[in-house]
Amino acid sequence: MVLNKAATAIFFAGLLSVTGQAAMAADSVNFVSWGGSTQDAQKQAWADPFSKASGITVVQDGPTDYGKLKAMVESGNVQWDVVDVEADFALRAAAEGLLEPLDFKVIQRDKIDPRFVSDYGVGSFFFSFVLGYNEGKLGANKPQDWSALFDTKTYPGKRALYKWPSPGVLELALLADGVPADKLYPLDLDRAFKKLDTIKKDIVWWGGGAQSQQLLASGEASMGQFWNGRIHALQEDGAPVGVSWKQNLVMADILVIPKGSKNKDAAMKFLASASSAKGQADFSNLTAYAPVNHDSVERLDSALAPNLPTAYAKDQITLDFAYWAKNGQAIATRWNEWLVK
Amino acid sequence: MKMAATASRPSTATGSAQSAAGSAHGTQAVAMQQAPSLRQRWRGAGNLLPALLFIGLFFLAPLIGLLLRGVLEPTPGLGNYEQLFANSAYARVLLNTFSVAGLVTLFSLLLGFPLAWAITLVPRGWGRWILNIVLLSMWTSLLARTYSWLVLLQASGVINKALMAMGIIDQPLEMVHNLTGVVIGMSYIMIPFIVLPLQATMQAIDPMILQAGSICGASPWSNFFRVFLPLCRPGLASGGLMVFVMSLGYYVTPALLGGAQNMMLPEFIIQQVQSFLNWGLASAGAALLIAITLVLFYFYLKLQPESPVGASNAR
Repeated sequence: MVLNKAATAIFFAGLLSVTGQAAMAADSVNFVSWGGSTQDAQKQAWADPFSKASGITVVQDGPTDYGKLKAMVESGNVQWDVVDVEADFALRAAAEGLLEPLDFKVIQRDKIDPRFVSDYGVGSFFFSFVLGYNEGKLGANKPQDWSALFDTKTYPGKRALYKWPSPGVLELALLADGVPADKLYPLDLDRAFKKLDTIKKDIVWWGGGAQSQQLLASGEASMGQFWNGRIHALQEDGAPVGVSWKQNLVMADILVIPKGSKNKDAAMKFLASASSAKGQADFSNLTAYAPVNHDSVERLDSALAPNLPTAYAKDQITLDFAYWAKNGQAIATRWNEWLVK
Repeated sequence: MKMAATASRPSTATGSAQSAAGSAHGTQAVAMQQAPSLRQRWRGAGNLLPALLFIGLFFLAPLIGLLLRGVLEPTPGLGNYEQLFANSAYARVLLNTFSVAGLVTLFSLLLGFPLAWAITLVPRGWGRWILNIVLLSMWTSLLARTYSWLVLLQASGVINKALMAMGIIDQPLEMVHNLTGVVIGMSYIMIPFIVLPLQATMQAIDPMILQAGSICGASPWSNFFRVFLPLCRPGLASGGLMVFVMSLGYYVTPALLGGAQNMMLPEFIIQQVQSFLNWGLASAGAALLIAITLVLFYFYLKLQPESPVGASNAR
């Protein structure tokens, strides 16, 4: 028994020293993103130059996990300082009190596209859902807009769509059904699901970027809804992949600071650097995702610029993140009901 | 186990004898008599303390916390459970979960049984080799194995290409992103969990019994169905139950090989936890999964006395 008590004491001493160590870390920022080529580019364009200039270490972590973020904030032991999240989540998390308000004395707000900045988050980058297709599968038959997805006679093959109930799929179904872009919201869910019903058996769902590329490049799906950067990467690799920018649907990633972050001040500085004209342009040049800073556009590679959403602003429809932040939960319930029906 | 059982027997015997005498004095004496033996029986229990502490702190406490969320969030009450059971979509998810687990159990039993038998029948060294191959497949990364199935099964995958080149089919078969894919991938992953207990059971069966059966005039068929199969029952039952319970809670393979329309309970829980932060509903779903598992575990325990371990101990 004595032995057990001693063992218990040692065990707890060990626990204490672990938590003690965690609290000691200083002058570093834990940056969390989605991994893959996107996070590599974020490291190269933002983290490395920032560390060199400021002496603040940026520790890469990931992938982003909303459940984990919430758990950290609730337990008060916040290990993440800057997190790359989806735009609708940034608004919802702010409403739930999970985020720190940003310090716009450090971050230059007036340079940022107002679509992608709020009191609790500043844009990481923005991108478009575009219509991508496999030229080998469709031949000379080039689809023009989202309505092509629902025309299985002219364009045979599977359709690759984004798996999660988040902005995008319902909007493109409504657009294909003839709803004008300015009348999309509030979403007519009945109409959207009815339209999706017509191709339900032809849909292959993708949950991540790599999976979507694999589906399209292999011809498993002949066409679908993709992140523009992923299509660009496929084209760079020489895959027979075409893209239509008509009605491209704009979505964004937002950088946020979880409430209770231990390195809040350093995190603000990091956000200022990442959202700067240079940081945004450098990142865009690496990824073919678009910069949220107005001043970045002139710094873009001339060869790359035509492949960015910034070049297709005319045909662009910005998804309503605020609508999704408010109604996402209810839509998700309907979505699940429809899926398993 | 056996020692505890023999130790308990004399004290219970005296206990019943004394209480049959009926006097108050007698029962008191029994209690005093029993006390040391009870203490003796639990003498080793102190060693359990670190493990108990660990489980209590890092498993039970968070688990209870999670279950509490199911009745406290977003408002106290049974709203989450109401939502879970009232919504036909969630009932469908539950049905999917059970049918996938059932199919996987069936197929891994059908495939695992001959494999276990072969391991038992081939010369000893060879059997060990085959068993090691089974184990090796179990130790390989789950993700790698699941992705390889994707490579094999997809429309432009190896199997479809080969079949089309041979002219057997002209349209690729749809073997992935649907129920077929999930059942194929999971059955493969679960086979070791059938083979290991089943092989142990088969190893313990005395070949003389089968010989005796055929000497007594049983045809090979009836020898198999009426002698061998009943003797394998404990291994089949414990392996099958283990696979069924594991399949209920499986996430990675269904998420990668299944389509969204075949959503199972674990994927539903993850969606609620990670994407929607709806932890109340998620924990209600988790509680349901735990409840089902506990009920099945109860049956598993009831099967235990005749499980392979028990059988070989008795010999």
